[in-house]
Amino acid sequence: MGLREFVIRRILQLVVTFWAFFTLLFVLFRLVPGDPTTMFLLDGMTAEQREQRIAELGLDQPLHIQYMEYLSQLLTGDFGQSFIYREPVIDIIIVRFMNTIVLMGTALFFAYLIGVTFGALMGWWRGSRFERGGIIVTLMARSSPEFWVGIVLLSVFVFWLGWFPSSGMRATGGELGGGFVARYGSIDFLRHLFLPALTGAIVFMATPTLLMRNTMLDVLNADFIEIKKAEGLPERTVLYRHAARNSVLPIVTVMAIATGAAMGGSVVIETVFNWPGMGREMVRAVNNNDYPVAMAAFFLMGSVVIIMNFLADLAYVYLDPRVEYE
Amino acid sequence: MAFRKKNRREFIRAAGATGLAIGVAGCSSNGDGNGNGASGAEELGEQVREINFVIPTSGANPFRNEIGVITAENWEEIGFEVDLEELEFGAHVDKAVVEQDFDASLLGWGGTPERIDPDIFIFDMHHSSTTGEGGRNTPGYSNPEYDELAELQVTQADPDERRETVFEAQEILARDQPRTYIANEGGMHPYASARVDNIDPTLGEGLNSFWNMISVTPLDDDTVTMGYPSEIISLNPMQDLATPDRQFVRLIYDQLYRIGPDGLPQPWAAVDEPVIEDDGRTYTVEIRDDMTFHDGEEVTIDDIEFTYNLYQDSPTYSSLVSVIDEIDTSGNEITFHLGEQYAPFTANVLGQVYLFPEHIWGDVEPEDLSDFQDENWIGSGPFQFEDWERQAELQLRAFDDHFNRPNTDRFIRIPGASVSQLLGDLESGQIDFMGAVPQPTALNRVEEDEDLANAEFNAIGYAKIAYNMRREPLDDRHVRRALSYCVPKTEYVEFIRDGMGTVTHSTISEHNEFWHNPDVEQFDLDLDAARQELEEGGYGWDGDELLHHGA
Repeated sequence: MGLREFVIRRILQLVVTFWAFFTLLFVLFRLVPGDPTTMFLLDGMTAEQREQRIAELGLDQPLHIQYMEYLSQLLTGDFGQSFIYREPVIDIIIVRFMNTIVLMGTALFFAYLIGVTFGALMGWWRGSRFERGGIIVTLMARSSPEFWVGIVLLSVFVFWLGWFPSSGMRATGGELGGGFVARYGSIDFLRHLFLPALTGAIVFMATPTLLMRNTMLDVLNADFIEIKKAEGLPERTVLYRHAARNSVLPIVTVMAIATGAAMGGSVVIETVFNWPGMGREMVRAVNNNDYPVAMAAFFLMGSVVIIMNFLADLAYVYLDPRVEYE
Repeated sequence: MAFRKKNRREFIRAAGATGLAIGVAGCSSNGDGNGNGASGAEELGEQVREINFVIPTSGANPFRNEIGVITAENWEEIGFEVDLEELEFGAHVDKAVVEQDFDASLLGWGGTPERIDPDIFIFDMHHSSTTGEGGRNTPGYSNPEYDELAELQVTQADPDERRETVFEAQEILARDQPRTYIANEGGMHPYASARVDNIDPTLGEGLNSFWNMISVTPLDDDTVTMGYPSEIISLNPMQDLATPDRQFVRLIYDQLYRIGPDGLPQPWAAVDEPVIEDDGRTYTVEIRDDMTFHDGEEVTIDDIEFTYNLYQDSPTYSSLVSVIDEIDTSGNEITFHLGEQYAPFTANVLGQVYLFPEHIWGDVEPEDLSDFQDENWIGSGPFQFEDWERQAELQLRAFDDHFNRPNTDRFIRIPGASVSQLLGDLESGQIDFMGAVPQPTALNRVEEDEDLANAEFNAIGYAKIAYNMRREPLDDRHVRRALSYCVPKTEYVEFIRDGMGTVTHSTISEHNEFWHNPDVEQFDLDLDAARQELEEGGYGWDGDELLHHGA
């Protein structure tokens, strides 16, 4: 099978996956008790106002009609309006999605950069004190809950040293809005980004480190490494060009999945640092029965997972010529 | 923590158990008729069915969860079988208020100043016309004698006469116990005493009150920043608003009257009290002549008339002004002709309708009102809109031309992720006060910080247990009264809430002084009284101490 056929078949599979995913979401959210008026009921909405709002939203229609309507809306690329905010879902989601990408992207980048290097060295210096210490540190990072890491960092860097702000994405009172650069390009933003990104990096780092170390150990036992050493190549070259490169394959899969999951944001990190990202928005949307926002958020996040997996499959072929399209 | 909680719970239960010991002793002395340890009614019928009791999860509300668990244990002590169901807020409201599928439900009812007139607590919450799906009379309470009083008080223009009626209504509610009124949940809002001054926590709202926001004064710069644990949904006064939205809408938009710190409506955009004629059917209001909207346009009597017509056209809010039959204006005066007498008109209509600029809202179709986005949110209130990014911050600026200019030049509101996260912001200096009540342990931390302080406030809203009177055995007054005797109200305030709040026995809070009837029947924790109440109702207990109907 050629690359082209493979890609076409995978895309068809993707369409089916998306449809199943979306339908499951639709059913799940409608099964949750409550509706978008619930949160207003104790805040002054009367029974008549409630009924009127339900009718306005079409929630009094039979479920299959709501489903067909939403499906046709989605096919035109429209996520609809938030039931609570009464604004286009896309406007609400996109800002938070960007916030999450920047935070999680930074965290993942450092986690994998440090993790892979560190893991490779641990494998290389097998049995050394460096490896033993490294494993302890990695396991500690892996078993520390996110909120705990966040709170420890806050206590040290904010409440004790006073180096960083305690929350948010920028200092209050300045000009709001602005483009990508205005939002994410300032020193002020980087100061706000540092602690939440560090928390994420610490938490995410363990997986690539341990994985890289383990694969390195397998690769280092392979004959070709002995041959490369016997060829008299410098240790550095053997480590980076031969051992590490051959160990990186499983990391690609794990990274693809981790990236997808990370796009959903981390509710915990976002809560500890009051970061306005996707995770908290999803929780809010589910709690308030804001179906369109909740669906779009999960849809977006799920899509990233599905697409990243697809890309990982493609990348395998490039990284390892022995893999074939079947 | 868990250990401490358990001890506290045992202690609270022990307080009621003294009553129980006497109760059991009393029963055994008069109830050995059938020789198997049964007591109460001479002949026992079927066992009383299990009661479904819905309470919040400890995540949704730790305080109410705890009193719910203890109350359920007490109910079991007096012979009921209880199915305790812990739900998240949305699911809870859906089950109890919308579906009405519950036997007993522990929820709160908020007490914003807009609710200080007794009408909502007396009529909306207990009149038989509001028992439908999503209605406020969740117990399904239907008592013709009570309905008459609830209807009468609305028509009584004389406050003293109306008060008599409201008092009588409270007595009937206390006797019938459609709900157990537990406590007015006042609390503490932390603020940075080193950075802001002139804090003014008001009844029901603490530092979220309108009066605090125009009074609070920054000490070292020109900006006050507050934190609140949720985002603002909308600033459009024509949309369904939640309480945190309304707290900011009313800073930007004025009303003819505002509910004062004392809970009574006071003239705001109006010059004086309304002139009430025609036996309470006509209200005439003169408006101030020194008001402008934030864009510089003058506020005229036409804007006021336009506003009330706009409300009448609004699909969301027409019911608020449905009592108005006709409006006419003359000079600076506007006259409202009511279809029927409506005593709370000043507080509940004139005090709640926001004034709109006709030159901006004049062309909006009624069905578009709730979706309308005025980019600059032009009103005439003491603060003008500056900028807003929902998930980040709302920026307001003092409106210099307002007759009651706020003390701070700028006011910023940030949405927090949680109450404890906001407390961190307060400690690190990022916010100056917060509109949410932290856990008691966190409040102690605030007390110990010399830069911070707690602002205490009372509440008119309450925590309550509603009994579904559409179902047996809760349709029996004796059962409801007995259940009420099992609720540890004092212990709730003293131990669970660490002293925050006050016990209540009436639907009207003692802090709503004019309308509160202090002499209603009281239901304190007393398991002995609970058993006696059940005995009077003809119930009895079998050998396993389980409750049965009389034969």
